[in-house]
Amino acid sequence: MAECLLDIKKLCTSYDESMVLKEIDLSVYKGEVLCIVGESGSGKSTLIKAICEDKSVRVNEGSVMFKGSHCGHKLLGSSIGLVQQNPEGAFNPLRSFDVQFAETLKSHKREPDKEKLAAIFSTLGLKDTDKLLKMRPYELSGGMNQRMAIAASLLLNPELLLCDEITSALDVSTAIAVVDELLRLRREFGVTIVFVTHNLGIAANIADRVAIMYQGKIVEIGDAKDVLTNPKHEYTKGLLRDVPRLKAM
Amino acid sequence: MIKKAIKKIVSLIVILMILSFFVFALLYIAPGDPAEKRLTSQGVAVTKEVLDAERERLGLLKPFLVRYGEWLVRVIRGDFGVSFKDDMPVAPKLWAGLRNTTILAMTSLILSLLISFPLAVLSAIKKNGIADNIIRLFSFIGNSIPNFLISVLLMYFLCIKMKLFPVIASENLQGLFMPVVSLSIPMTGRFIRQMRTEFLIQLKEDYVVGMWGRGVKGRYIVLNILRNSIGHISTVIALQIGTLMGGSVVIETIFRWPGIGKLVMDSITARDYPVIMGFVIVMGTIYVVINQVSDILGHLMDPRTNI
Amino acid sequence: MKQRTLREKKLKKRIIVVSLLALLIILMTTFAGVIAPNDPYTTSASSIRMAPGAQYPFGTDNLGRCVFSRVLYGGRTTIAATFLLVFISFSIGTVIGMLCGYYGGILDQLLMRLADIMLAFPQMVVAIAVAGILNAGMSGAMVALGITMWVSFARLSRSHTFSIKKEAYIQAAFFAGKSDFYIIMVHVFPNLLAPVLTNALTQIGTTMIGLSGLSFLGLGVVPPKAEWGSMISEAKAYIQIAPWAVLFPALATIITIIVFNYLGDVVMDYMEV
Repeated sequence: MAECLLDIKKLCTSYDESMVLKEIDLSVYKGEVLCIVGESGSGKSTLIKAICEDKSVRVNEGSVMFKGSHCGHKLLGSSIGLVQQNPEGAFNPLRSFDVQFAETLKSHKREPDKEKLAAIFSTLGLKDTDKLLKMRPYELSGGMNQRMAIAASLLLNPELLLCDEITSALDVSTAIAVVDELLRLRREFGVTIVFVTHNLGIAANIADRVAIMYQGKIVEIGDAKDVLTNPKHEYTKGLLRDVPRLKAM
Repeated sequence: MIKKAIKKIVSLIVILMILSFFVFALLYIAPGDPAEKRLTSQGVAVTKEVLDAERERLGLLKPFLVRYGEWLVRVIRGDFGVSFKDDMPVAPKLWAGLRNTTILAMTSLILSLLISFPLAVLSAIKKNGIADNIIRLFSFIGNSIPNFLISVLLMYFLCIKMKLFPVIASENLQGLFMPVVSLSIPMTGRFIRQMRTEFLIQLKEDYVVGMWGRGVKGRYIVLNILRNSIGHISTVIALQIGTLMGGSVVIETIFRWPGIGKLVMDSITARDYPVIMGFVIVMGTIYVVINQVSDILGHLMDPRTNI
Repeated sequence: MKQRTLREKKLKKRIIVVSLLALLIILMTTFAGVIAPNDPYTTSASSIRMAPGAQYPFGTDNLGRCVFSRVLYGGRTTIAATFLLVFISFSIGTVIGMLCGYYGGILDQLLMRLADIMLAFPQMVVAIAVAGILNAGMSGAMVALGITMWVSFARLSRSHTFSIKKEAYIQAAFFAGKSDFYIIMVHVFPNLLAPVLTNALTQIGTTMIGLSGLSFLGLGVVPPKAEWGSMISEAKAYIQIAPWAVLFPALATIITIIVFNYLGDVVMDYMEV
C-alpha cells in the first residue's frame, strides 16, 4: 500500500461530558479518497474536529498522527486543508476574496502564486478570476462560495483535504458539480481527500474506500465496492436497504 | 442607492418637523400663556391691559398653526427669537454654549473610546479570563453610577481631600479634566459592555471558524472581527451621544462650565422659554443627524442591512 | 448538557441572593417610618452638621435633620417613583405593543412610526426640557422620562405578539370562536410576560439614574421632601464641612442602582441559558 498519511489510533473523545468517539482506529493513505459515512450524531464531524484539534472536542485517549508526527492545528491550511459544511461560513461575508486569500497566504508566509490560483480556479470551473476575486462572499451563491472555499484551502498545496459535509447545504445539481470538480482536483494535484457525508450516493461515486460510522464507532471499513455491495455489518445493510436506487448499482 | 438616500433624507426631514412641532408645543403645555410667562419672567406686574398688549405684540392672537409656521421659518433661518430675560437674541447664546459643550463632549467621547475599545477587545478575546472579569466588574460599576454622583465624589476626593484640582472649572485643560472624567466614566462602562457583546457575537460567526480552519493567524481574525463590528459600534456611539448631551447638562451645571447645558439650566430657573426651545431644537437636530449618518455608515459597512 | 444545568443552577442561586438584597432595600425604605430613628423633616438649630454618632448614625445636615432617616425616606421617594414609572411605561407599552402586533394594519403603522420618532430624539434632552417647562415636581420628571420609556416595551411586546400569533393554538382558539380580548389575555399576554418583565427589570437602574439626575438638577422633588438626588445636590454646597450629608445618600444611590442593574443582568443571562 501507499504511504500512510494520517494514522488514528484508539481515539476516544468527549463533548460536553458525553462520550462521542469510542476507540477509533483509522488510517488514510496517500492519494486515496476515503469517505466517512454516517447519520448525523454518529460522530463523523467530531472526528474531523478531533483531527484539527478543535478546542470544543476533548481527546481522552489515543492519538492522531500526520506522517508520523503529532497532528494538530498548526498543520491546518498548509498540510491539511479543511472545507466545512456551511458554504457561507468559510469567509468573512463583508470583505472581498482577494484580501482574504492574501491573509491566508500571509498567515503561512507564502507568496501569492497567480498561476496556481488560475489552475485551481479553472479546475473548479470558475471563470473571470479577477472579477470573482474582487467580489464579496455575500454577493455569491452557496455553490460558488463552496468552490471558493475549496480553492482557498488548496492554495497552500495541502497533502490532505478534509471535507466536512461540504455538499449537504447545496442543491443536488450543484453538489454533483462540486464533487466532480473535487475528483478532477485529485487527478491534477494529487491531493488525498477525506470526505465526510451522510449521503451514500455521493460516497459510491467518489470513494476508493468507505468507512461506516455508527454511534461513535467505525463499524465497517473497506474497499468502496466491497462495503457498498457486500456489507458485513447489520447497520450498513440497513443503510443500504434505505437507499433503494443503490441496489441497481 | 439614490432611492435609499432620498428615503433617508425624507425621513430626516419628517423627524425634524415633528421635533420642531413638539418643541413649539412645549411652550403651550406649561401653565399660563406665553405672554404671561414673558411678563412674569421679566418681573412685570401682570394686568389685563399689559397682557393684551403683550399678546398683540407677540402675535399670539393669530391661529396656532400660523404661529408655528412663522416660528419654524425663523428657526430655519437661524433666528431663535429673543430671550425673555434680557431681550437679547437667543441664537448667539446658543452657539457660544454649543461651542463649549462640543469641546467638553468631544473630549469625553474620544477619551472614552480610547479607553473602552482596547479593553473591550481584550475582554472579548480573553472571555472569562481574569482580565475579562476585572474589566467587566469595572465597566458594570461605571455604568451603574450616575454622572452627577461621580462628579460630586471626584470633587470631594480630588479637590477637597487631595486638593489636586480647583472646584470650579476654568476654560483650560486643568478645568476640563474633572468634567471630562465625570462624563467619561459611565460612558466608558457602557461602551465596554456594548462593544464586548458585539465582539463576542462576531467571534461566534461562521467565518471565524472558516478562517481558523485555513490556519489564518489570530491577528488577522481579530482584524476581521473589528472590521465587521464597525457598523454596530457606530450605532452605539451615535446613541450614546444622546446620553452624553443629557449628562453634559448635569456636569456643566455642577462645574459651572459655560456650555449649552448650563445655559439651559439657567434658563429653566429664569423660565426663559425661547432659550429652552432653542436648546431642544439644536441638540435634537444634532442628535438626529448624527444617528442618520451612523445608519448610512452602518449600511456602507454592511450592505446586507437595511436603512 | 451537564455544564448548562450547572450554569443554570449557579445563575438561579445568584438571582435569589440579589433578589433578597433588592427586597431588603425595598423593605427598608418602605418601613422607613419604623426604622428611622428621627423625623426626617424636623430641623434643629442645636444639631447642625453633626458628625455621625449614636443619635444620628449618618450625622445631620445643614438644617440639623437626621441624614440616616432622610436616606431611608428619600429611598422611598426614589424607589417608589422608579417602580411606578416603570410599571406605567410597562402597562402602556405592552398594551400598545399587543394591539399593534395582534391587529396590525394602519394603527400598527402609525404607532410604530411614532415609536421610531420617539427613539430618534435624545431622551435626556427632551426630559430636561419637559421637566423644566412643566415645573411640576416629581410627577413632571416622571412624565418627562415616560414620554420615551414606553417605546421599548411596545416594540418588544409587539414582536412577541407577532410570533405568538402564528402559533397553532392561537389559530385553534380563533376558530373555536374565542373573542380577541380572550385570546390576547389568555394566550398572548402570559406568553410575552417573561421577556417584557425582564426588560422592565433592566429599566429600573436606568430609570433611577434618570430620575435622581433630574432631582439633582432641581427638576424632580420639591424640597424639603427627601430624595437622594436632591439631598446630594443640597448638601454638596457644604461638602467640605459635612461630607457625610453627601456621601451616605451617594452610597445608598450607588448600592441600590448596582443591586437592581445586577439583578437585571443575571435575569437576562438566565433567560438566555
